[in-house]
Amino acid sequence: MAEHTTAVARRRIKELNVGRGIIDLPFLILTLLLVFIGLVMLFSASYARAYSETGNVAYYFVRQAGFAAVGIVAMLAVTRVPYQWFRKWSLPLLAVSIVLLMAVLVAGSEDNGAKRWIFIGFISFQPSEITKLALVLTFAGLISGYGERMKTFQYGVLPFSVIMGIIFILLKMEPHLSCIVIIAVSGAGMMFMGGTKLRYFVVLGIIGALGFFWYISTQGYAGSRIDSWLHPELDPTDSGYQVLQSLYAIGSGGLGGLGLGRSRQKYLYLPEEHNDYIFSIVCEELGFVGASLIILLFLLLFVRGFWLALHAKDKFSALSIAGIVLQMTIQVFFNIGVVSNLLPSTGISLPFFSYGGTALLLHLFEMGIILNLSRDCTNNRA
Amino acid sequence: MGKDRLFRKESAHKKQKTSRTINIRMIVVLLLGTVVLFVPLYLMLYYDMITEHDRYEGEATENQTRSTSVSASRGTIYDRNMNILAISSTAENVFLDPNEIATKNQNLGVIASGLADILDVDADWIRKQAEDTTMRYKVIARKIDSDHSEQVRAFINENDLSGIHLEPDSKRYYPNTSLASQVLGFVNTDNTGTEGIEAKYDSYLEGTAGKIITTKGNNGAEMLYQYEKYYEASDGDSIVLTLDSTAQYYLEKNMQAAIDQYDVQNGAFGILMDVNSGEVLAMATLGGFDPNTYLSIYDEPTDQALEQLYATAMSYPKGSEAYQSAIDEYNSGVAAARLSQWRNRCVSDGYEPGSTFKLITLASALEEGAITLDSTFYCGGATNDIKGRTEPLNCWKPAGHGTETTAQALQNSCNIAFARIGIALGGDKLYDYIDAFGLMEKTGIDLPGESSGLFFSRGVLADQKSDASLCSVSFGQTFKITPVQLVRAVSAVVNGGYLLEPYAVSEILDENGSPIQKNERTVLRQVISEDTSKTMRTLMESVVTEGTAKNARVAGYRIGGKTGTSEKIDEYDENGVLVEDKIVSFIGVAPIDAPKYVCLVALDTPSTATGIYISGGVMAAPTVRDVMADVLPYLGVDPEYSGEDAALVDVTVPYLIGMTEAEAADALKQVNLQYRVVGDGETVTDQIAASGSQIPGESTVVLYMGGEKQTDLVTVPNIMGMSIENANRAITNAGLYIKLKGATDASSTVVATDQSTQGGLQVARGTVITVEFTDYSAQD
Repeated sequence: MAEHTTAVARRRIKELNVGRGIIDLPFLILTLLLVFIGLVMLFSASYARAYSETGNVAYYFVRQAGFAAVGIVAMLAVTRVPYQWFRKWSLPLLAVSIVLLMAVLVAGSEDNGAKRWIFIGFISFQPSEITKLALVLTFAGLISGYGERMKTFQYGVLPFSVIMGIIFILLKMEPHLSCIVIIAVSGAGMMFMGGTKLRYFVVLGIIGALGFFWYISTQGYAGSRIDSWLHPELDPTDSGYQVLQSLYAIGSGGLGGLGLGRSRQKYLYLPEEHNDYIFSIVCEELGFVGASLIILLFLLLFVRGFWLALHAKDKFSALSIAGIVLQMTIQVFFNIGVVSNLLPSTGISLPFFSYGGTALLLHLFEMGIILNLSRDCTNNRA
Repeated sequence: MGKDRLFRKESAHKKQKTSRTINIRMIVVLLLGTVVLFVPLYLMLYYDMITEHDRYEGEATENQTRSTSVSASRGTIYDRNMNILAISSTAENVFLDPNEIATKNQNLGVIASGLADILDVDADWIRKQAEDTTMRYKVIARKIDSDHSEQVRAFINENDLSGIHLEPDSKRYYPNTSLASQVLGFVNTDNTGTEGIEAKYDSYLEGTAGKIITTKGNNGAEMLYQYEKYYEASDGDSIVLTLDSTAQYYLEKNMQAAIDQYDVQNGAFGILMDVNSGEVLAMATLGGFDPNTYLSIYDEPTDQALEQLYATAMSYPKGSEAYQSAIDEYNSGVAAARLSQWRNRCVSDGYEPGSTFKLITLASALEEGAITLDSTFYCGGATNDIKGRTEPLNCWKPAGHGTETTAQALQNSCNIAFARIGIALGGDKLYDYIDAFGLMEKTGIDLPGESSGLFFSRGVLADQKSDASLCSVSFGQTFKITPVQLVRAVSAVVNGGYLLEPYAVSEILDENGSPIQKNERTVLRQVISEDTSKTMRTLMESVVTEGTAKNARVAGYRIGGKTGTSEKIDEYDENGVLVEDKIVSFIGVAPIDAPKYVCLVALDTPSTATGIYISGGVMAAPTVRDVMADVLPYLGVDPEYSGEDAALVDVTVPYLIGMTEAEAADALKQVNLQYRVVGDGETVTDQIAASGSQIPGESTVVLYMGGEKQTDLVTVPNIMGMSIENANRAITNAGLYIKLKGATDASSTVVATDQSTQGGLQVARGTVITVEFTDYSAQD
């Protein structure tokens, strides 16, 4: 009986995949390259801390590599599922993620005054990561359903604003500003691409800006953060410490870097060197040349993603692909922007590089979705 | 069927094919994203990594490395004979790491009481130092010697303590304590030279600290790629001074004796210099200090007053206004007292030279031909005919000196005569000479804090309408010069006219002892001719033999010089009344016929309470005499006795026992001794003074020819205040020998002022009593 059911399901999956092309190889290669380089750099960046904390230099690396392996398998598996599933499950996923966002406020573990993580069994994850994906898929689904009605306020603005509003309220309660910013920018980007009239963005922009400043004003530390962003050297041992240590690492890199593994700042000078600040160690070890090449890989991923979106077979695919790569690129921008002191500090991880198994897993899952959808792109079809 | 459904789905999707709008907007987002998101990142990274690379790399290196300094040993200061005047040795500082003490839960009570015992500091104070647990470095004791540091180490080990650390430091030792203290200066707790040679030559003495730079991870994390760089420390250069510590000792000893004898209120200063080279052999300012403990206050009355002030402050409630003002007063008092004891008055302070300056006026006038040795001057005790001077000009001798020759004018130190000499020379010329003698410029001596005195402008001195300033300058009043300026100018007067640059450092040696810099005689210019200089030497000798400086006579040496007594011109007491404090001084040169050394001693404010007449001739001249008497033989200037001196020079009594009277008489005659006989035997059976003893020439030896030798003790007579003749008689009659010192003039103004054995004491027959005679006519 059970055997029968799985057989039916397998046949059905096969049926749904009939006529679909191959996954986009350039995008796959870019993804794998980033995962690979990310792992190498994670090992390099983390071993001093791993040794000091656990006595095992490969502690962080082994765990991350495990997640990467599982993630790549998951990514490839995702490319095999019928793409209709993404649209079908988008709203339920959003609903689940919103429940999780509520749950994290109750059951989440507190870290530095913010509740962002949920522990289940032996793994922990941030519900907000799931929310980001769910939002993209949901928006893509809504937009492709609304069609020409996107030009109206009722369809083109209201549903999206309500969804984002609910999410923002929940994220504000964690609090998690960086996630709000990423969701706001990527959500607005999706509405823009989906056809929302430009004049509504003016209103939304004003509301967004007001909301942003209101948010900032409720955070007591925001002012000091701005100060330590503009003048990190004024308080080198406290609020400016992390920024300065990051700049020491980045600046030390120069053109060619100190060489792989030869970072000095990772010896417990730079906090979160294997985490949010991993890119500083990348700069220190690989120099401007190496760092530029890595950013170039992210840029290529962005461009290739949009190229796939432009060649996607339908609105949902196009907007999903564009939404996911846009969101990831914004995250890259914010992360590198913070470590290089282009932006005030806020906690955003670097996709594929920063330590964090579930985030890596999720990013690879997202890449799987894009690769899946890429199979229907005009260029990849036979 | 299935196929149909599939197709329907397919077509349903076809309806949702991406629209033109979506495609265009996606392209917009793609382009916008590329520009807005990636361009700033590249620019920022370029800025951080390329533009600011050097800066961040430097800061990072500083951040990642620990530099341990290897201290350089400070150079030594030697005197001219390579005796050590200042030397550094290693010492250690003890400091606490309050943070470590707190985090490692150390028993602060044990630490505080243990360290308090070893280091002799207050345990509560130590506990207080450890209060702020964010601190990592609190010094408990500085520069402790190895004994104490070993005790601290043992204490740490025995009790297994953390948070107490020792670090190397160096300590400066001045083996001669206060000797030449202001010249040497001292080294503060940071090992920086402060004051004196220590300050002036700090850059040579300090050396270059070496360091070891090691990469180190934060919180002691080990780094895979470590590097170490070692910069060797180079020890400081050593300084060899021209000072002679023995001569310095003699100068200070005799100045201190004068301070005690004349109850001098404000200390004294003195210089001994080589007149031909400008080398300073001794330079002293008393009340000085001990550079080993330079913060203590050495002037006792001041110290006591400050202690009292402190006690008063402490009696007020803390924080009250009275408390604060008392504490402020105490602190500023302490600071002032320290600055004053550290001050090298020989170079830093101008003073009114008084009559010693007449040497300059006279040398200038003779050189210029304004007067000759044959000129005569009349002094009636006072005169009213000075142009522009409202009150009469009085000479120090109210009765007046009558008609004087040039030489007598100097011997008498006659102000009226010198006013005439100044007028004869003219203000313009005198100004030129004063300038040429270097009295308006710093001497350039290699000591810090030199000042250049205070003088009239040419216009005032050469005023056609008034000679008032010209006159007072001519006899050394109403302006200020520094002691070293005067010593240099007088050197030029006697050395053939050559103005020198005085110096206190003869050589700088590198750490291996090789000379890297040598100072030599520097002649700036010739001010007067050799002839004038020779004339001046003769005149200066006559001041000692005939004039106000008779008390400066040293048997066996030819001394020349000039006395001075000056009133302070610009000091007022707390009521605004001009103080009548006097500085008495004497500047002497020896040997005056072939000058080698010049010595100036000035005593600031001798007390009127001693009853001794306050003048340079009475007080400073004997001081210089004593310095010369000590220093000249030491420096290898042999005495030459002639005339009266030769007769009185000490001789060794020969062994006479067993001789006949004739034989004994012959033996005694050879050594310039007289004799008298007691008893009537054939041969000498005993003698006084005993053979081998030193007694003055011309003394009488008692020969016992069978008669019994007197073995009883005799009482020393009190001969204070007696004339030479009377004193001689009194002592000889008592069965003692007299040795004369000081003025030997038979005139009534010369009286005994000191005797080596106090009157009334019992001594053996034939003991030599040294009696000092002072000429009280020396009222300048």
